Amino acid sequence: MKRVLVVLCVGLLFWIVLAGVALAQGWVKFLDSDKMLVDTSMYAKTPPWKIGFSNASISNSWRVFFARHVEYEASKHPEIAEFYVTDAQDNPTKQLADVEDLLAKGIDLLIISPATEAALNPAVEKAMEKGVPVVVVDRKVTTDAYVTFVESSNYQMGKIMAEWLAEKLGGKGNIVMLSGIAGAGPAEDRLKGAMDALKNYPGIKVLEQQYCEWSPVLGKQVMATLIQKYPQIDGVWADSALQGSGAIEALQEAGKPIPPVTGEDMNRYLKMWKEMGFEGVAVSFPTWQGQVAVQKAIDILNGIAVPRYVDCPRVIITKENLDKFVRMDLPDEFFMDSRLPEEWLPKR
Amino acid sequence: MLVALFVVAGIVSPIFYRPQNIFNVLQQASALGVVSVGQTLVILSGGIDLSIASIMATSCVFAAALMAGKNSMVIPITLFCLAIGALAGFLNGIITTRRNAPPFIVTLGTALIFQGIRFVYTKGAPFGSIPSWLRFLGRGGIGFVPASVIIFLFLALVMEAILQRSAYGRKIYAVGDNKVAALYSGINVPNIILSVYALSGIFAAFGGLVLAGYLGFGDNWAGKGYELDAIAAVVVGGTSLAGGEGGMGGTVVGVLLITILSNIVLLAGLPYQFQQIVKGLVVAAAVIFYSFVKVSGERR
Repeated sequence: MKRVLVVLCVGLLFWIVLAGVALAQGWVKFLDSDKMLVDTSMYAKTPPWKIGFSNASISNSWRVFFARHVEYEASKHPEIAEFYVTDAQDNPTKQLADVEDLLAKGIDLLIISPATEAALNPAVEKAMEKGVPVVVVDRKVTTDAYVTFVESSNYQMGKIMAEWLAEKLGGKGNIVMLSGIAGAGPAEDRLKGAMDALKNYPGIKVLEQQYCEWSPVLGKQVMATLIQKYPQIDGVWADSALQGSGAIEALQEAGKPIPPVTGEDMNRYLKMWKEMGFEGVAVSFPTWQGQVAVQKAIDILNGIAVPRYVDCPRVIITKENLDKFVRMDLPDEFFMDSRLPEEWLPKR
Repeated sequence: MLVALFVVAGIVSPIFYRPQNIFNVLQQASALGVVSVGQTLVILSGGIDLSIASIMATSCVFAAALMAGKNSMVIPITLFCLAIGALAGFLNGIITTRRNAPPFIVTLGTALIFQGIRFVYTKGAPFGSIPSWLRFLGRGGIGFVPASVIIFLFLALVMEAILQRSAYGRKIYAVGDNKVAALYSGINVPNIILSVYALSGIFAAFGGLVLAGYLGFGDNWAGKGYELDAIAAVVVGGTSLAGGEGGMGGTVVGVLLITILSNIVLLAGLPYQFQQIVKGLVVAAAVIFYSFVKVSGERR
């Protein structure tokens, strides 16, 4: 009997995992490029203000830097009397409750970085119905019930990386592509941008595209195997420095010259680039979009019109300006396209 | 089974046999192997340990932060990390035995506690770096044999000897087979259970160090998924989840099997996600296979 139960449990678990993967595949988001201005005169209020920031999580260092930018900018404005921060720990259900709590505290404006897209729709809709303006930042919601959406286009990021790689290879060569998590918005958008860019370079052959779950361990393991499989890899497109840095390790240990590898502004990647001197490019996914979100929030409460959609411009780090960004003395997981003063950097 | 897989692997892709590929596979198997040794002990005693991945990541983050790239710190900090692992295991063991709580939930709780600890400590952005000695442990090798796999096999061998030859080892089997009978035959059941969790914690912390060496920096999520992979490896290796049956030999085979399958999935050009499907199928197949062996054995 026990055996049968074990078999059943394992079987059930297996199907749950499958269902999860299938669901994740469905979340594909696309960009709207709505440049129109939103009139915010009805939200104008005399200070002091109470602002709530509902964060999805601080479960990785990108999110830590992002949250710090929000808090740093908020600290610069004496008009903000109360600034409440909640952390949903990547759990949309908790985030719904967080927003309820913030609304109960009588906030004048809500800044939200949603854990998942659709799940947070009721929360932002409720806030807007109550007359509390909402600033959505970093990840979108699928409803129209918000005032402005601040992000940095993942599509553009992936596209710029792919264009750089194709140009570096002179439009000809074999590349492998390492993505983040299958079905995750940023990963799919970056991949789509890259694929669109590569359409213009028929000489570039994509040997293989794999998801590495934004894990440096997986990035290294997958790359190590791909190196064995393909004798000639001319370039690596990695949508993040997390798996990218793992891939570079694998290439280095295989004893081959390191081909051009794309990355982002994570210090780990920049340090490796500086030390090993391969051909690299870093396209940032700015952590300071959190700062911009607070600036837009202040505009709204002052009744100043804000754009419906804000695309924070990414920084492109090349050989020429690498030294301006890399900091050998700072930890590996720091994001260097930062607008934080030194004293606001995470300390031990 | 392993031999069959070797043959199939070669048919799917001759690249599999390349020394460099074998080296990669063995290296990738090592961290999983070390933690699976600990998991085997826990499962043999009738428990389960879900805190492994969290302990690994905590150990990896502390190693980077406290060694700070200095070889002189490798030994003291290694001991420190192992002590943290032992502490986590002790916590698992003490709650499981004293309160008679289900280990599934207890170890999950411990995983969360240690996740919290490392986030408080690092403020979400790990710092420090991994010194070259530890890097050798994770990625170095002697000829075409990775250093880490030697350690994994050595640990498995030692634990197998303890399991089969020592009174302590036999007690673990006895406890896993039937707690009440073990208690009546004079075995200090709580102490045995406490010790296997503590050992599993130590192995997990060590696995985290191997991974730190492989990776080269402190990552807050190093070892993610290893708790379930370890359980899968142990089950595929023929150790019964009900406890009291199995051994290290099977676990070694299970670890290699799971790692080789992942390697073949990639060599065959299938998306990485297929690894999950294949892993799941292998676990299911193994459980069904062993259940038949057991049933026919009982009828005889």
